[in-house]
Amino acid sequence: MVPPAKSTSAGLCLALVLAVLLLAGCGGGDDPEGQSAGASTASSSAQAQGEANAAPAKSEKKEGERSSPKASRQPAAAAKGGGKQGPPIAQPTGAREPEPTPADIANATVADMTLTSPSLPPGSGEAAPLSRTYTCDGEGKWPALSWSGVPADSAELILYAMNLAPVGGKLFVDWAVAGIDPALTGIEAGKLPKGVAVGTNSYGKRGYEICPEGTEIHIFAIYALPRPLSPPPGFDARELRRRILDVSGNVGLYPVTYTRG
Amino acid sequence: MKTKATAISTALAALAVLCAMFATSASAAPAWKFEGKSLEGSEVILGAAIDSQLTIPGMTTKCANFLYKVTIKNEAGTGKGEVTELPLYECTTNSEVCSVGKIGAEKLPWASKLTTVSSSPYIIIEGIKVGIIYTGEECAVDGTLVTVTGTAGGLISNVTETATFDAASFTATGTSLKAMSTKIEWKGVFPTEAFEWKREQAISVS
Repeated sequence: MVPPAKSTSAGLCLALVLAVLLLAGCGGGDDPEGQSAGASTASSSAQAQGEANAAPAKSEKKEGERSSPKASRQPAAAAKGGGKQGPPIAQPTGAREPEPTPADIANATVADMTLTSPSLPPGSGEAAPLSRTYTCDGEGKWPALSWSGVPADSAELILYAMNLAPVGGKLFVDWAVAGIDPALTGIEAGKLPKGVAVGTNSYGKRGYEICPEGTEIHIFAIYALPRPLSPPPGFDARELRRRILDVSGNVGLYPVTYTRG
Repeated sequence: MKTKATAISTALAALAVLCAMFATSASAAPAWKFEGKSLEGSEVILGAAIDSQLTIPGMTTKCANFLYKVTIKNEAGTGKGEVTELPLYECTTNSEVCSVGKIGAEKLPWASKLTTVSSSPYIIIEGIKVGIIYTGEECAVDGTLVTVTGTAGGLISNVTETATFDAASFTATGTSLKAMSTKIEWKGVFPTEAFEWKREQAISVS
């Protein structure tokens, strides 16, 4: 008869442990009721006010549709109670912006290529600081550039450097190089591959020049075109850009910043 | 038998302690609440920016009205959700030559989840993708589709029922948005409220 007595002891132990489990709230998860109970003690006046004011009719109706009448009175036990406290949502005014359609995207120049410069520090993710070397304050040569994501069917690559802010209300082009082989993935600082054509920039020069007034952000761009434009050396950089946009290719953009003076 | 019973009770006691620890940690997971009670089922919330703008280096794009619609629920005590709509109204840039031609969210819905950083609740929206086509004959990105991608973390205030996205909230949550291979800045304060079953109820996260 001893063994049964031991079994009883084990059973009592098991029951005790189960009781401990229940008290510990085993099973995880949030226990809103428990929290509400705690909060209700701390904010009984708020609850009373919540009950007195009751939820707006619209809310009560919705709750009633979904929950039991008892549940619909539960805000009385809420931590905050008294309904919404934040500022109201403003009704939108004006026209909703049109979203790009597949046709728009097909006609756009899609900025889905990656363009970076091994010559410049990666920075903190903001526009990379352009070294003095690559401005009119230094050697005035272009930095090394590398790119990826050129579509397989590209016929020509064209590089640009532009001031992101207009000058005299006009787009200001610092540099334009056309006729780049689509198989290339970059250029070295101050060097260009053979066979390319350098355009005339907004300074009226056939070359590269970034010479900001104060702090400016300039943007390097590598355009990948599905059909070649092959402009002659000395081409008008601004005019060619219009033709590039008409071709609707892909582009990689790389903003840089420089402070002069 | 006595030894066996003792072993069982010891194991169960250990299990009880583990369960108690688990319960404690689980209750710390942030969940969506209405009037202080955990949301059961799902709810739709709307957020509308008081002020919102994103800054691509050199150019700020601002929308007069910037809304989001999120279907929220709690899963295993943690708040989750999906951004299902993101209508934008009257968007402009600070550039004298660049305009917003078209702008819109792509690849919706975007997943969202709640998290806690240094005792503060945050909402994290993942898989963000917003396409912007800028226009302007003299604009350096004329006719160009610039896509903003990444993850955004916003600080939730239970007092004002708002979500605030700014540099601090991005840093706190280790999130970032990028465009043109560059990190961009997005600022926005979004008062948020329930749109369906829980209308007019206090919304909170804890």
